[in-house]
Amino acid sequence: MTALLALAVLGTLALGAVFAVAMDGRIAQLAAGFARQRIETEAPDRLNRDLAAVWYLALAAAGLSVVPFAPGLALIDSPVGIVIWGTCEALTIITVFLHGWSSNAPFPLIGAYRYVAIGLPVMLPSMFVLIAAALPAESLSLPAIVESQRGMWNVIRQPLGLPLFAIVVLTLTLRGPMDFADAADIATGTSAEESGAARGLWEIARAAMLVSASALAATLFLGGPLGPVLPGPVWLWIKTAALMAIFAWLGRRVARTTPSRMLTILWIVLLPLSFLHLAMAGVFAL
Amino acid sequence: MTDLLVALLAAFAVWTGWRVFRVDSMVRASFSLMLSFVAVGGIGVLLSAPYIGIATVFMMAVEMMVMAIFMVMFMMNPAGLNPMSMVHQHRISIGAGLLAALALGAAVLLSPLPSNPVLSEADVVAELGHELLGPSMLIFETAGVALLATMLGAVILSSRQGRFGNSDEGSRPPGLTPEGEPAGRKPEGGGGHHHHGGHG
Amino acid sequence: MTLSIVLLGAAALIGIGLYGALSQQSFVMLMMGLELMLNGALLAIIGFWSLALGGMPEGQLLAILVMAVMAIEMAIGFALIVAVYRKRQADMTESIGTLKQ
Repeated sequence: MTALLALAVLGTLALGAVFAVAMDGRIAQLAAGFARQRIETEAPDRLNRDLAAVWYLALAAAGLSVVPFAPGLALIDSPVGIVIWGTCEALTIITVFLHGWSSNAPFPLIGAYRYVAIGLPVMLPSMFVLIAAALPAESLSLPAIVESQRGMWNVIRQPLGLPLFAIVVLTLTLRGPMDFADAADIATGTSAEESGAARGLWEIARAAMLVSASALAATLFLGGPLGPVLPGPVWLWIKTAALMAIFAWLGRRVARTTPSRMLTILWIVLLPLSFLHLAMAGVFAL
Repeated sequence: MTDLLVALLAAFAVWTGWRVFRVDSMVRASFSLMLSFVAVGGIGVLLSAPYIGIATVFMMAVEMMVMAIFMVMFMMNPAGLNPMSMVHQHRISIGAGLLAALALGAAVLLSPLPSNPVLSEADVVAELGHELLGPSMLIFETAGVALLATMLGAVILSSRQGRFGNSDEGSRPPGLTPEGEPAGRKPEGGGGHHHHGGHG
Repeated sequence: MTLSIVLLGAAALIGIGLYGALSQQSFVMLMMGLELMLNGALLAIIGFWSLALGGMPEGQLLAILVMAVMAIEMAIGFALIVAVYRKRQADMTESIGTLKQ
């Protein structure tokens, strides 16, 4: 059973990453990138420069491994599954920072700093959303959170949850309005000095993180593997794919603002909103 | 098996802890410290404290990220291209550190340690929750109030504008040599009138 | 046996942390030494809770308190560093020797 679940995690990650890249219409570009030569920078931090994409991919896999594929069946069935996902989020910010810092070049470093400045305040609403989702289940374990949604999905009883979590997903996957790391305005930021296979792997890891984060959003708000007729994993895949499409669309459609204005929005608007969200979820759970 | 893993993780925590004061770059130092915390968190998970272990990793990931930013703000040579050593009273420190480690180690080895492991079927996470919001609620709430006071204190301490004028008024950088020319930003005309702003 | 390993690791961490806190000139590095000592304390608490207390929930509470102490130490520490930097443009312990007078 464990082997089967591990296979499901890896297969979902691989197929989902292909789907995500296809949605962005970048398969040909990505494939061509692998043939290119790698750029070298002066005195980089070699370990992290070579492995940043691997850390990113590993975090996506770790995040997906706590998601239950059928009711009560997760690869890592931990009593604190949701805290594991929160840890993956925090470590993702560090990974992106290391990716930019390790090249030892101006644009990647600027991207890394901008991203951290935005990423740390995003962690706060993220934690409130995760805690709120755990409230009706009275448990930090993801299978229990799925069970708690048998009667009613969290997206209905916690209406602010999914929109707030969408911001977290966009931040984690460096997309659209929250892409302060790899944006075009600083020459693709943390990836500016990357080329060839390393760049390709970074893009794949980004796509894999979108799969992982969408699967978690589906579990937290759309009842995960719950659904009539079809078996659990199929429902999870359908919901994950739908959310991935929504997040990719949001990433393309919503404009990015300056980091300073985004900081104001995060602290002044989104943080109080997430307080309100948690309070509402608490009252509803009572 | 658990013993071996715990020993490996403990050795890793000590090694990365040692690297903190040996690497050149501040960023490397703070993430080395983070790895030390991650190893301790791993030991926590192995020793059936999943919440404490994983929460440690989470907390420390965020904290070390903040630390790395402050390091680069305040340190020369943030990228770590040049070797550097900034230590004082080095011998005394080595002696004190060794003495503390050896004394504590001897105390561990010489004293009879109790053996009363946590039951494997116990639901430790739920127990912790009931403890936090039950018998020890006052302690837990006190920690919360202390954190609130910390937030206020940190904002007040680090704010540039104060009741008695700007906090950097008349600020003069330390000399490069004792009593020598100041390094960094020069005080203007006897000091006092800085209108740089932009220090956020 | 496991408890001895854990406690020896904690002792080593506290030793290294003490060395760092005493020897580093830069405030930020000094705080890393303090954090490392707290890390050792956390390791010892986890070890004692898991292997010697029979899972008393107060042990986990103590670990949570240590984490709160770390957060407070860091926030106030950095605020003090910023305050000193504004006044003296200094980031090293030697530069604030005049505080002794």
